[in-house]
Amino acid sequence: MASSTMTTNQLVTRGVGRSILLTLPMVLWTLLMFTPGLRQPGAEKHAAAAVTGVFMVGLFYCMMRTGQTYRWRRIFFVALGFLFPVGFIAALVAVRGSMSIPIEHMVSGDTPFCYMVIPMLIVPAALTQTLVFPGSILPTPSNPHSIAAMIGLWLAMTLVLGKGWCAYGCFFGGIEEGFAAIPKRARLRKLNDRYRLIPWAVLLTIVLLSAAIFEPVYCMWLCPFKAVTEFPAVRDVETAIQFGVFVLLFTGLVVVLPFLTKKRTQCGFFCPFGAFQSIFNKINIFDIRFDREKCTDCRVCVVNCPTMAINAEAVGKGEARMSCMKCGACVDGCRKGAAVWHIKGTAVGANPERARLLFLYGAWAMATMFGGSVIAHGISTILHFVLKG
Amino acid sequence: MRLRITSVLGTTVAVVTLFVALLVPLKLMGGIASAFAHAGFRIDPVYSGGNVLRTFHGTGYTVTVYEAVFPHWLQRGKPFQQVVFAPATALPAHVDQTIDMDGDGKPDLRLVFDLPSDPNAPLHGSVEALNAKYRSVANLGNNSFTELLVRADSRILLRVPLAGKK
Repeated sequence: MASSTMTTNQLVTRGVGRSILLTLPMVLWTLLMFTPGLRQPGAEKHAAAAVTGVFMVGLFYCMMRTGQTYRWRRIFFVALGFLFPVGFIAALVAVRGSMSIPIEHMVSGDTPFCYMVIPMLIVPAALTQTLVFPGSILPTPSNPHSIAAMIGLWLAMTLVLGKGWCAYGCFFGGIEEGFAAIPKRARLRKLNDRYRLIPWAVLLTIVLLSAAIFEPVYCMWLCPFKAVTEFPAVRDVETAIQFGVFVLLFTGLVVVLPFLTKKRTQCGFFCPFGAFQSIFNKINIFDIRFDREKCTDCRVCVVNCPTMAINAEAVGKGEARMSCMKCGACVDGCRKGAAVWHIKGTAVGANPERARLLFLYGAWAMATMFGGSVIAHGISTILHFVLKG
Repeated sequence: MRLRITSVLGTTVAVVTLFVALLVPLKLMGGIASAFAHAGFRIDPVYSGGNVLRTFHGTGYTVTVYEAVFPHWLQRGKPFQQVVFAPATALPAHVDQTIDMDGDGKPDLRLVFDLPSDPNAPLHGSVEALNAKYRSVANLGNNSFTELLVRADSRILLRVPLAGKK
């Protein structure tokens, strides 16, 4: 790499020309993804597609130029997290007049399907071939977010990303990542390492409970993001309690705790889908490793990891835990270049930049396809409000 | 030697993963969705109302009677049967109608409710069981999957609780 150099953080930086060259495939991909948006009627849709395309390509260029991943990915991810509710809520209000979903829409199969439900569907579907969700399997005019479409999207992206879904695909994680980015330092530093096991306990509980009572228990009672998306219409004491729980969990896990700890606390300490997604890290070819010869046990990676996927034991073993979402925070922060991107089967540190590039092309392609369309929808909604009221 | 083989294999899989990424929006996503849609799954009848049992016509509207739904062992709610009137606009402002649920020529239920002109206004009504299979309800609500009288899009959807178990 003639025009590539190493920074003090051992990251590979590149010249402008080489960075542009490496960004070109992503330019083509982005054009492919956003051309349909440009064909839709409406100036705000054209503007949103163009802005999002430039945004996604620009961030990828920055990744190539600086060698940093986490910093640029975070900008995308926070934008995704905050623009998803904008577009989604506006669509709900336009169709239904409210963020709440009344029972008459549920029995009509009009509940938009969210990937968080997937773990709860498995056992009842395997035993009885029924899906315990008040949505529709195929898209309908009143519910384009069908179960089949979301399953297809999630499984296809999971094959590429593994747990990376939580850093490049999930439209909820960006909200807490945004709040975690606000303070310069964590005010709450002592976090019990065992907290990382809670998502597994929540996953086991909701899977068993959903199988027993044939209800998507997490969606009905525990999902913090219902507070900023949709929730069952409050018509009695039970639905009032549900709404209260959603607001409390959102405030605590998505706003306050990330602000205090600089961690993604809902993802790291609660989210059952994150735990479920960790299983797919086992079949994904990319992971994060630690070169023991270079490591000085400074623990910067442990502090930087947003989801407690790295602790002293993991560093000692030379491998991030299976809950690692490949966000790149540890690699970017490691001053000795000991934390590295890695392709399973290859020697640790043999060619980490090749591993990073191969992973990033796939991950950013997915981010542009899915997250990019969500961001474009959010921008288009804002433009619509600003221009047309 | 072993490291070399695994290294070549690993890098090959990484490159294949990249091609899989390219296929996601072009083929893979739609392929998986289509396979899932045709795998024979169905929405739980407690939400969907179950399968259609029979259909008959009123004056300008259609009445669709669904099969009885029996919740699973620990599932919340009681057995019920769904009836749908469509379109709602063809119904009179005051509905007082007997319904033959099983098609044996004898009325099984008497349904009484007012249909406000405001489509967002809640419905208030009652159902009287004329057959021991059903349970009478004085005030049908809008917050239970198994005891329901609501306007859903252009339809009136009724869920009547059954008196006994399967």
